[in-house]
Amino acid sequence: MTTTTPGSPETPGSSGPSLSTGRVPLSFDSLKRRRSQDSFGQVFQGLLVLSVAIAFAMVLAVIITVVYDSADVLFSRFWEFLNNRSSSDPAKAGVAQGIRGSLIIAAIVSLVAFPIGIGAAIYLEEYASDTPMTRLIEVTVRNLAGVPSIVYGLLGLAVFVQGLRGITGGSSVISAGLTLSILVLPIVIIASGEAIRAVPGSLREGAYGLGATQWEVIRTQVLPAALPGILTGAVLSMARALGEAAPLLVIGAAAFYSTGFQGQLEQMQGAFTALPMNVATFAKLPADVWSSHAAAASVTVMVLVFFVNIVAIVVRARVSKKLGR
Amino acid sequence: MGEPVARAAVRMTATASLAGGLRRWKPTTPSLRARAVATAVEAILYLAITIVVAIVEFYAAGPFSDFAISNWWIGFVVMAIWQGWHWAGAQTPVGSYVDHYIAETNGAPACFWCVAVRQLTRFGFLYALPVLALSGNVSVILAFWIAAGIATYLTPGHRAPWDLFAGTQLTESLAIERSEALAEITAPADFRLSRQRVAENRRARRIMLIAGMSSVLVSVLIVWNIFSEAWQFVAADEFEWGLLTDIGWFPRRNKFDLATLFVGTLWITGIAILVAGPVGLGVAIYLSEYAKTNVRTIVKPVIETLASIPSVVLGFFAIAFISPDILKPVGSVFGIDFGIFSLLSAGIGVGILSVPIVASIAEDAMRAVPQELREASYGLGARKATTALRVVFPAALSGISAALIVAISRAIGETMVVFIAAGGSGGAIFEANPSEPGQTITAAMASLGAGTDSVAGSGIAFQSLYFLGALLFVITLLLNVFSDAIVRRFRQVY
Repeated sequence: MTTTTPGSPETPGSSGPSLSTGRVPLSFDSLKRRRSQDSFGQVFQGLLVLSVAIAFAMVLAVIITVVYDSADVLFSRFWEFLNNRSSSDPAKAGVAQGIRGSLIIAAIVSLVAFPIGIGAAIYLEEYASDTPMTRLIEVTVRNLAGVPSIVYGLLGLAVFVQGLRGITGGSSVISAGLTLSILVLPIVIIASGEAIRAVPGSLREGAYGLGATQWEVIRTQVLPAALPGILTGAVLSMARALGEAAPLLVIGAAAFYSTGFQGQLEQMQGAFTALPMNVATFAKLPADVWSSHAAAASVTVMVLVFFVNIVAIVVRARVSKKLGR
Repeated sequence: MGEPVARAAVRMTATASLAGGLRRWKPTTPSLRARAVATAVEAILYLAITIVVAIVEFYAAGPFSDFAISNWWIGFVVMAIWQGWHWAGAQTPVGSYVDHYIAETNGAPACFWCVAVRQLTRFGFLYALPVLALSGNVSVILAFWIAAGIATYLTPGHRAPWDLFAGTQLTESLAIERSEALAEITAPADFRLSRQRVAENRRARRIMLIAGMSSVLVSVLIVWNIFSEAWQFVAADEFEWGLLTDIGWFPRRNKFDLATLFVGTLWITGIAILVAGPVGLGVAIYLSEYAKTNVRTIVKPVIETLASIPSVVLGFFAIAFISPDILKPVGSVFGIDFGIFSLLSAGIGVGILSVPIVASIAEDAMRAVPQELREASYGLGARKATTALRVVFPAALSGISAALIVAISRAIGETMVVFIAAGGSGGAIFEANPSEPGQTITAAMASLGAGTDSVAGSGIAFQSLYFLGALLFVITLLLNVFSDAIVRRFRQVY
């Protein structure tokens, strides 16, 4: 420590321009003292730390409340809760249908929203020149990202539930998946666009110099380099789609339903529900009996979303490592 | 015209490839004039048919007579896009009558029956199927169109499949193959992009453009649907403007008091900003100015966790923790009686939801302030708090206000927390007290939507859903435009 102490005249110039060269007796200790006298600064920093602590407390409170309230259900009949259908009998009710719905919705979102969103991002970042059309697309994407989710529910109700009833079968999991695909589309476009914009131009120029066509440049250079960012954006939007309930409510997700003896395809076109809908349904029922069900369903959603986020982190790490970055 | 076209095409492509590579190669049949005339005539024909069908549909008062989004309109849009995309470059039925030589194969005329069959099938696909689509079951036809589009796409020169079907694989593709063969022999092949690579490049660009247009399509669909349905609400016979000011919001009893919903929304938004503003900004300043790297690596993921909690869970949190464990004890001190459901409880829930939005956007804005400004401030002897508050904060003000506006817009649009925790069900009396249950625009929409099927038949209640949606859309759009304008107006470029 002695060697780094400013103000020691034995080491002039040993660590760059030293503070001791000036005539002002500016020592480390005096600086420290000045900081401890700065009461406004300390109060201010205290307030900042307090706000961080409040944010921490919010997270903790949500998690603890939900886990604590769910103990009744999750500890006594964990597998039954995951495997049972929805029911009006609290002792039997479960979220199996919700899990099924959420998984199908996730599959549809990844099949519809991801290719279209990434393609749109490629077009905007790589192909589009600065034309009015390009600007129109960019403005609409930005504004669509700010449209409330329930408005997408109205769109899904009009287009998928009523307009394309022949394909989707009305209020079905297909309608839900397509609606949520549209909902996350702007998020995917914006995230992928940022990832593609971060790819250095030298990569592209090198590939062009070797005689590649534009599509070959994009396919072999830009996309692999932007892949970690694109994947992160895609998975985060998936988490959003999994947690969204308002559009499903509008397009008519069912609170309780039974499938009877339908085949898989008919079930796809029939009544549906999803995990967030389960939470909302349980939370709207009388709290004394159903509160623990709502909490348990919340835990299930959060675990699912958390799992998806973990997948994002792992995939990003692996892809970055593979690319040597 | 005197010379067989195919031979001319071969000769032209061969010379073109020798002169400047295949990139300059243009299809030589049919003539530009013929194609322009044909495309124009065909478009007029198609539009005329469409208009006639639409008029008939409208006056026949069929199931889709309301000019809302119906099978016919979707079919029309798909058809128009597909036709616009593939037809301009390809031959048209009219065009093939104008320039008969399109149907020639390698100089030899195609047989009369081939041409006839082709035209018939094409007319059938183009004009008969959309009319059939009116019968209501559009799924088969849509599937067929998609399949036909893919097939068209895969055929050489993007011909419609029935061209091949009729035995008229045309001079162009033959000519390309020949010129390829010629070029193999004569041109220095290495400097020439292969036809496959060029085609692939062009196809990729086209696909990406379609994907890019999807956002415009979605916007158009949203605006069109929501505003046309909202217009039906306003234009309905039962509607009068007096209904919008009443004792409360009871859509099933034709009482649409907007003030009830606006008061609820204002309370929720105000409370949410009171919670999220200070906390979010504090976190942002701490993260960008004070936190060391190792602290950052802990705090940042926790804030992100908060962002990934679904809003339904926060709704449940509001009724399971905020109301009974916080508001009730605190309220009893001040002599206010809080129930499980109240606007305040929902507002705090929305506020928690908005904290990460404010924190992340504001932090980004403050980190974007260049280091030189801070160093200059320190160099003048300013304290850390002074630097943060009077140098960094003003420099990032545009981003910070954008963060707050985005949070406001999210709070206005937040549905599930309010739907669960504010306690409004199908209707609500006008209530300006935040300790009481209330109803917001979004929660009213959710309640209406949750009973979609039962509402569908009862008067204009169903359309009021779209009316509210239109209001919400306009409000959030204005806020977004406003925040964009602020960022652009006050951003300091470093």
